[in-house]
Amino acid sequence: MSDKKQSRIRRHRKVAYSLLSLLVLTLVLPLIPYAVAEKDETAGKVFNPGTELWRDVRQRDRDVIGTTQMKSVDAGVLINEYGETWRHFRMQQLVPYGAALMGIVLSIILLFYLLRGPLRLQEEPSGKKIERFTVFERTVHWFTVAIFWLLALTGLILLYGRFVLIPILGADGFGITASACKEAHNLFGPTFLVALVLLFLTFVKDNIYARGDMLWLLKGGGMLGGGHVSAGRFNAGEKIWFWIAIIGGLVLSVTGLILVFSILGQSREIMGLSHVLHGIVALVVISVSFGHIYLGTAGVEGTLGSMTTGYVDEAWAKSHHDRWYAEVKAAEDGSDKIVDEPGLATEGKS
Amino acid sequence: MAAMKFYCDAERCIECNGCVTACKNENEVPWGVNRRRVVTIKDGEPGERSLSVACMHCSDAPCAAVCPVDCFYTTDDGIVLHDKDICIGCGYCFYACPFGAPQFPKEGAFASRGKMDKCTFCAGGPLPDNSSEEYRKYGANRIAEGKLPACAEMCATKALLAGDADMVADIYRKRMVNRASAALGKGFQLREQNIGSGVDLKGKVTN
Amino acid sequence: MFKHLVDGIFWDIALWVFTIGVLWRILSIFLVGNKKDLSVARTTGMTGAIAANISRFFPRSEMQSRTRLHVIAGYMFHLGLFALLFFAAPHILFVESQTGLSWPAMPYWAFIVTAQLAFVGLLLLWIHRVMDPVTRLISSADDHVGSILTFIVMLTGCMALLEGFEGLRVLHRFTVELLMVYFPFSRLMHAFMFIPSRAFTGAWFGRRGVKA
Ligand code: HEM
Ligand code: SF4
Ligand code: SF4
Ligand code: SF4
Repeated sequence: MSDKKQSRIRRHRKVAYSLLSLLVLTLVLPLIPYAVAEKDETAGKVFNPGTELWRDVRQRDRDVIGTTQMKSVDAGVLINEYGETWRHFRMQQLVPYGAALMGIVLSIILLFYLLRGPLRLQEEPSGKKIERFTVFERTVHWFTVAIFWLLALTGLILLYGRFVLIPILGADGFGITASACKEAHNLFGPTFLVALVLLFLTFVKDNIYARGDMLWLLKGGGMLGGGHVSAGRFNAGEKIWFWIAIIGGLVLSVTGLILVFSILGQSREIMGLSHVLHGIVALVVISVSFGHIYLGTAGVEGTLGSMTTGYVDEAWAKSHHDRWYAEVKAAEDGSDKIVDEPGLATEGKS
Repeated sequence: MAAMKFYCDAERCIECNGCVTACKNENEVPWGVNRRRVVTIKDGEPGERSLSVACMHCSDAPCAAVCPVDCFYTTDDGIVLHDKDICIGCGYCFYACPFGAPQFPKEGAFASRGKMDKCTFCAGGPLPDNSSEEYRKYGANRIAEGKLPACAEMCATKALLAGDADMVADIYRKRMVNRASAALGKGFQLREQNIGSGVDLKGKVTN
Repeated sequence: MFKHLVDGIFWDIALWVFTIGVLWRILSIFLVGNKKDLSVARTTGMTGAIAANISRFFPRSEMQSRTRLHVIAGYMFHLGLFALLFFAAPHILFVESQTGLSWPAMPYWAFIVTAQLAFVGLLLLWIHRVMDPVTRLISSADDHVGSILTFIVMLTGCMALLEGFEGLRVLHRFTVELLMVYFPFSRLMHAFMFIPSRAFTGAWFGRRGVKA
């Protein structure tokens, strides 16, 4: 009984397998000649030399660089694929978004100033001054500022002059302005690297992450909540600005140098990409610098003096940089070198 | 408004660089500047083809879009020209141009770019037509004299066509029909059948 | 219009004021004469004059660390400016057009590098002058005007680098004319006087057997 049943199942299975293999064979066998025969793609087609050529010219499937008698950069490339992307970036993205970024940062600062006003000292100015920046430190700072703004202004004129200045100066007038800006920008570019190195060497030791910086950040630097947060010589905000300036400046320098030395034979694509980085980083650093300038001048009472005369009021130091104040006081113990008259303080090493 | 265009017939170009020489000669361009160049694809391989390329006088010209001093303009003939009295030599047009047309003189050691120079379709520049100053800055103004570009006129195989876009397209279409029928292997040449021969080839187009 | 003035009458005025002013200043200093030297001469004074002229090129050893910035930036600025003034191709061409004299120019890249050195030096020196309370106190308006005018001349010069716009060349020349008119009446005269004044001090002390 069970035997009969089993043999029937076996028979059915055999039939099923045979049918299946037949099906597979009918599908596969006709393909064998294709697999064995040499491939001839043009067989049966009218060969059109044009399509192949234009696909290459257009760089559709691969980068095609032809040969030519001309020695200039990228002369062998018939169609520059990257050009449209770059055009789109500069005209549709960098120009409007850059303007928006600067505008937004400026409005936030203005709003903040109107709503919160400058940060006041916790106590009355004591009239006692302590040295915050040496002559050398201040020299390096203003040296960097001078070159940075020379570059930023000339760069911004190149970027926005077409929209803002041509209506005012006319095409010829702006041509002169733009040429002056471009030459000054290119010439001063490499000197920015010098400033950057000096800035780095002068200030890096106080801009390393230290305990307490995280807390300072979490409390928003005292800007949001109110009250002052403990900090060393530089607070976390200042440290972040330092590193933005250094790293951003380095990116600007490297990309800028690639753009200046167009004779090294780098391709358009490298230059276009350098310009993309250069433009983005420039606008970010400029925008952040607005915040830095605000905090250094109108934003925090009594700060500007630290970079002009080099001295700050003790009350200022206690409010904003209590741990630094304690360090200075501890170092001073015994030597008692409090100077009331900044004009007479000549200890600054230079 | 006409639209002046180039077309280079890859099936005819023999990479003789005659157009390059003609251009240099006609316009006396500065050293290191080549308004036109011939590029060979697959040099020495099957399917080798050459194309002569210069400024293509784009309808929506990328160079004009990115120029920080906005010194480009398009003439009534659809020719894209620029004003060297305003150009600052920044090189942006070169980054954006699809065809590598803009060229910069004075590329010695460390040198910055001079003012941009490119193919003018032999139409000079914004200065008075055929004045000596125009010639010095922009080269010949053959268009004002009723002539066509020197490069195309010089082309021995008539690979390089220059002229109004419609006419250039017309000539090229006829060539294509001829070639297609020849390729179909019937030995049948439209030209032999006297179809479309010659008649409008006397127009302003070099064939 | 402005261009014709700058290339014409302004230039003539500036050149005359400069030449006559400089000569007048130098002569008036030399015409003052020396006080009679009553001491017994230990040396001729010549050795002292030469020694002082040379030794002033190096910082005093006690001052080395304090004056490091002045020395480095000072040399960068003065050497850069000197090279720029006399060996930049456009300047040589200008002198040639005016006098027919010509000499080899430095290559373009050296021109740019010297300009950058000069700018870095000048900026550092001037900012340091303002930042250091001592130098700020002893600086008069003359020092600041001289520095700023020099900076402006260099800046307009670098802005005209493309040599493609007449307006920028004229602007540069105009600022040069301003500087030339200012020059004889200012401390910028040290460009002519530093050698004689070092020599005077050196000789004065040298005759007394003192190293200046
Ligand atoms: C550090 C060295 C720097 C170098 C070598 C440099 C060089 C250049 C070059 C070659 C260009 C192209 C413009 C032209 O060739 O005419 C450029 C554009 C520009 N640079 Fe810089 N740059 C430097 C630093 C900076 C800094 C610090 C800023 C701003 C804070 C800046 C902002 C800009 C801007 C906004 C543009 C215009 C981009 C455009 O028009 O699309 N650059 N720079
Ligand atoms: S220069 Fe380039 S982008 Fe401009 S019109 Fe000619 S081909 Fe087009
Ligand atoms: S090189 Fe001249 S034409 Fe080209 S984008 Fe710059 S300014 Fe315009
Ligand atoms: S049209 Fe004139 S300028 Fe342009 S490539 Fe031909 S010869 Fe040169």
